[in-house]
Amino acid sequence: MDARVINKGQLPELLDRLAKDYALFAPVREEETVTLFKKVAGAKEVALDYTNSDVSPKGCLFPQTEKTFSYIYTGDSLQINKNEDVQNTVIFGARPCDVRSILSLDPVFEGKFVDDYYAARRQNTVIIGLSCNKVLSTCFCNAFNSGPCDGTGSDLLLTDLGDKYYVEVNTDKGKSFVEAYGQYFASQGAEQLAKAKEELAKTLEGQFIRQVDLGGVKEVLDENFELPYWDKVFKKCLGCGICTYVCPTCHCFDIFDFTTGDFTGERFRCWDSCMFPDFTLMAGGHNPRPTKKERVRNRFMHKLKYHLDRYNIAGCVGCGRCIAKCPVNIDITAIIKDLKEVGQNA
Amino acid sequence: MHNPSPLIPYPATITKIVDETGDVKTFTVEFDDPEVMERFGNKPGQVAELSVFGEGEATISITSSPTRGKFLEFSVRRVGRLTSVLHQMEVGQKIGVRGPYGNWFPYEMMKGKDLFFIGGGIALAPLRSLIDFVLSEQYRKDYGKVEILYGARSYNDLCFKSDLFERWPKCPNTKVYTTIDRPEEGWTGHVGFVPNYVEEVNPSPENKIAIICGPPIMIKFTLAVMEKLGFSDEQIITTLEMKMKCCIGKCGRCNIGSKFVCVDGPVFSLAQLKQLPPEF
Repeated sequence: MDARVINKGQLPELLDRLAKDYALFAPVREEETVTLFKKVAGAKEVALDYTNSDVSPKGCLFPQTEKTFSYIYTGDSLQINKNEDVQNTVIFGARPCDVRSILSLDPVFEGKFVDDYYAARRQNTVIIGLSCNKVLSTCFCNAFNSGPCDGTGSDLLLTDLGDKYYVEVNTDKGKSFVEAYGQYFASQGAEQLAKAKEELAKTLEGQFIRQVDLGGVKEVLDENFELPYWDKVFKKCLGCGICTYVCPTCHCFDIFDFTTGDFTGERFRCWDSCMFPDFTLMAGGHNPRPTKKERVRNRFMHKLKYHLDRYNIAGCVGCGRCIAKCPVNIDITAIIKDLKEVGQNA
Repeated sequence: MHNPSPLIPYPATITKIVDETGDVKTFTVEFDDPEVMERFGNKPGQVAELSVFGEGEATISITSSPTRGKFLEFSVRRVGRLTSVLHQMEVGQKIGVRGPYGNWFPYEMMKGKDLFFIGGGIALAPLRSLIDFVLSEQYRKDYGKVEILYGARSYNDLCFKSDLFERWPKCPNTKVYTTIDRPEEGWTGHVGFVPNYVEEVNPSPENKIAIICGPPIMIKFTLAVMEKLGFSDEQIITTLEMKMKCCIGKCGRCNIGSKFVCVDGPVFSLAQLKQLPPEF
């Protein structure tokens, strides 16, 4: 594996250049408190002093609201124009858990029917990951064999080591990128920084408050669809859906038409949530998941079993956002622990 | 013309509308570009996404068999916003169609066997694509006796009346049983619920496949009868209705466990259904 070094002082210049050459998505602090990934015009807008963004970079590849096409229908003729909105993109500063989440989304949007909106963006995107320098109380990426300095899925992984970033070049795409911007990526000193990174990773491993062991959870869910446990858990849930919106692996969407004139309109897809009662409500009135119990169960089954069964990759990356943002403190790590206990008695 | 994206519909024109019941109409639809039909390649039991522009999309089963011609038929009940607008549309107006989606009835596996269709209400619509397929001149020889048992609340609620009373009974080695829930003036046929009528008809399970679709309650009681008559889980095929939106396994709303009905279904054998969580 190739490794390089970026001097921190040079980073703003690199980001300014990237903003010119690419659609550059980077963490931005909005209203001083919420960190999210947005398209930026330059280094000044980028906020790298965050541990985990409030909203994941999922939207860079799968936007919260996306026009799929527009139409003109005059009665005699119907014309449909696909929305072609693909730019060469760089996602800069994504944390390892969020990069992993993209690997969970890939098989969803690819597979038998390739979702070309996602696929085109994915293909044209360079992912520059950024190791964490701190572990939050809600973090549990270690449960998924990941960690604060895990480069899986990143084209480049940057690790902040004081006045320098250690840069791991993980893919061919990353290699071409480093070559294209060679003036910012020094080779000298990389070996020394590799050791410093290893030490940082070790230190951070010791900072996890949550020690989550997934062993046996899927087996419990494989054997038990009906568990009295779900009758208890769902009662707290408000059905607000925040867990699904902040989740970097949730991919559900709805499709809407918006008329722009008598004969014209646009179709959009927008993030949706399986926590909402009308998500599965059919026009005839039948609803296979009529109460919060079925919806809460479905969400956790999806994260801990269904996604894994279907795509052979976990549907959770341990980012901890659903724990941090839930207004009634529903905690997936507590549910994992409970399910193991419930399974022993089932 | 290749579809630029699986989420983009092909323009199509409504060429015929038949009033089936007070709230069900069958729309015949032809693609504006005939090449699309050539490539469409729908198989019995598959579904499509219908676009009513300005309203959105709805997943509707294709009720026509590909053996019948270069058109698609959709029988749509007026139950919501989009279907109400569709019901107001006229011949010559345009909609969008994308698909076909989902799996199909295992018609290869059914070859050489007798077929017993059981339908209730609007749910005859997905079965009709297979009925017309096996009764077509091209394929009739491949299948044994075909029986169709169909019921609705009243005479007016029976869909596909010309098929039931004229077209299908004239086909070789084919029998049609119809029933309505309650007696009514002028109806001389059978009266009673579908599951009871199935028990009366008493089909032998020998070398037979039963294909069932109907409201959940009808299916539940009919399955109990089929079990009593000795049908195995592998001999019972059904097609599920779930809320589907994207129909390409992305939007996440039609899952039953780790299966998505839009790509892994809608057709399942009872044996397969028993492997899934009971959430449909």
